[in-house]
Amino acid sequence: MQSFFSEHPRVWRIFDILLPFLATLAALGVGAVMLMIFDANPIVAYGAMLDGAFGSTNALADTLVKATPLLLVALGICIAFRGGVINIGGEGQLILGALASTVVGLLNPDMPGWQLIPLALLAGFIAGGFWGAIPGLLKAYFNVSEILSTIMMNAIAVQGMNYLLREPLIDPVQLEAASRIPQTARLSAAFDLPRLVPTRLHLGTGLAIIAAILVFIFLWRTVVGYRIRAVGLSPDASRYAGVSVPKHIVLSMLLSGALCGLAGAIQIYGLHHRMFTDGSATGFTGSAGFNGIVVALFGQLHPLGAIPASFLFGALLVGANKLQRVMQVPSSFIVALNGLVVVFVVSADYWRRRLARRREAEMVGEMTAQTEAEVEVVS
Amino acid sequence: MDNSALVLTLSSILLASTPLIIAVCGEILTERSGIVNLSLDGTMLMAAMTGFVIAFESNNVWIGFLAAALVGSFFAFIVAFGSIRLRQSQFAIGFVLTLLGDDLSAFLGQNYTRIPGPVVKHYAIPILKDIPIIGPIFFDQDPLVYFAFILVGVTSFWLFRTQPGLRLRSAGERPEAGFARGVNINLQRYLYTVIGGALVGIAGASYSLNIKIGWAEGSTRGFGWIALAIVIFGGWSPVRGMLGALLFGATKALATYLQRTYPEVSVVAFNAIPWVLMILVLLLVGSDFTERMILIAPKSIQRPLQRILRIAPPAALGSSFIED
Repeated sequence: MQSFFSEHPRVWRIFDILLPFLATLAALGVGAVMLMIFDANPIVAYGAMLDGAFGSTNALADTLVKATPLLLVALGICIAFRGGVINIGGEGQLILGALASTVVGLLNPDMPGWQLIPLALLAGFIAGGFWGAIPGLLKAYFNVSEILSTIMMNAIAVQGMNYLLREPLIDPVQLEAASRIPQTARLSAAFDLPRLVPTRLHLGTGLAIIAAILVFIFLWRTVVGYRIRAVGLSPDASRYAGVSVPKHIVLSMLLSGALCGLAGAIQIYGLHHRMFTDGSATGFTGSAGFNGIVVALFGQLHPLGAIPASFLFGALLVGANKLQRVMQVPSSFIVALNGLVVVFVVSADYWRRRLARRREAEMVGEMTAQTEAEVEVVS
Repeated sequence: MDNSALVLTLSSILLASTPLIIAVCGEILTERSGIVNLSLDGTMLMAAMTGFVIAFESNNVWIGFLAAALVGSFFAFIVAFGSIRLRQSQFAIGFVLTLLGDDLSAFLGQNYTRIPGPVVKHYAIPILKDIPIIGPIFFDQDPLVYFAFILVGVTSFWLFRTQPGLRLRSAGERPEAGFARGVNINLQRYLYTVIGGALVGIAGASYSLNIKIGWAEGSTRGFGWIALAIVIFGGWSPVRGMLGALLFGATKALATYLQRTYPEVSVVAFNAIPWVLMILVLLLVGSDFTERMILIAPKSIQRPLQRILRIAPPAALGSSFIED
């Protein structure tokens, strides 16, 4: 074993990167057993899943569309977690971003699209940042746990959304109708984000990938990004080095919320073209605010790692929908499958770290043995 | 409101706060030993579902509570095992379990939604219930209410007045010192995380078997987070946690009352009140506002006031302990 570790370091690095994917495969294996319990043929089921996620141009586009908000939220989570703050408020920040951008679109129906879209996305970015900065301020200056305050902010955002969509912002058509579905009017078609190919794929996906690269540059190639990571690693050392810890906590929460807000705005302008609610948070967000956290962990809290991670999760979600439709398994099976993937990935990461420690220990042992041998030769 | 209406309101507030009191006591035990079980919201949903389903099938509420306690301790065990043995982030595990509990309860309980089932029977304590005003509020209640109050007393006594309680707190405050004194820190953490989880499970089942009777997807959603906030508000003390839970119950009742009085104001405003209030409370507790207020008080009572009002989390909360 010893020689294998030291002679093939590159093999092990590739193995490290592949491990999350292997873990996913293992989870799908357990899922196969569950499928058999439901009397479904797992090969047919996973065939349907693959087909649903990658089988056609449309399927692939749907996967990318699903991955887009996940990627943006995961980027926000990367910044927050690297800065040592746990942002669970993605759902609320997403809702705020979507609301703000919708209002901008509804208020300026006659503006040309090339002016309005950037303005609306900016509004979403700012609104999400605002909603994220509040828990950041509370944490930095009043010592309020951000885990709890972001959860509360989510609940408040949902209530606010329900109010706005049932009363001031409701579609005038719905106001006449008896059903009164809580949704806004459709935004002008001039504001739709450009479609890339004749599918549902829109420009937002490209924007999200650019955002991932920008976040990488920000965190690892700028002074402010370096300070955020320093504060996350060791607040005490940062304070000693003259970095203002509270300011950087607020900043990382603000940016984190802003990226979630941008995700909300892109969902509106790229996909839904109107805001709607079913009374809960997930109706509009599809739990992207929570799933984004899982994606970020899957990508090992690295902005570029989040790109394949979000693609994989998007594929899992879209493919699972198809699987459910084809095989008629309960929709909750899909949820259980997602949970399995998360559990497997997290435990694989633990295993990887333990292996790495053992590898290091063995290398050190080898080196000591070598030195001892040399000492013997000399004497 | 006349006298009897007031009594009725107070006793209903008491009943509505009961699950929160039980869950808060459980989480205080867990956090005092140094572990944060963030999965409360998901655990309570799972426990509410399991409790109802088992009680429905066995036609016995107490078996339902037992099953709920088992589910709660199982979830808590995952958190403890993940953070102690696997050295993963407690917050990440707890959070993933929250999501899992929410979805899994919807999945497993899908055939049992919105059907009538067994209910905990009302039990008035003889003699005591005849005391005017106090009697109907405190002693003409469901058994769970009595259980909650006894639990607060027992937890408080256990934590602050017994040897095992001292060992428990050493695990959360100074694990190294406790270890040097021969306390098995990680065993303490396993033990109290699992006990705390069982109490959270009972809290979940008391919703589905006593307060919001029956099961529906997401029926207790949100209460777990509120319990976590109340633990902080209560400064990790069972008695103050109980007061926090009652205060929360009172604001909820007030919101319902105001809603009936002012129907022209949107329902949403009242639904949001408890959450906004929670943030304000956390703000008040976290800032040095209380410290400054104490300094205004006369010198002679400053010391005792500080002892009562000071709030600090267990020093080693959320950190892992590695034996050398």
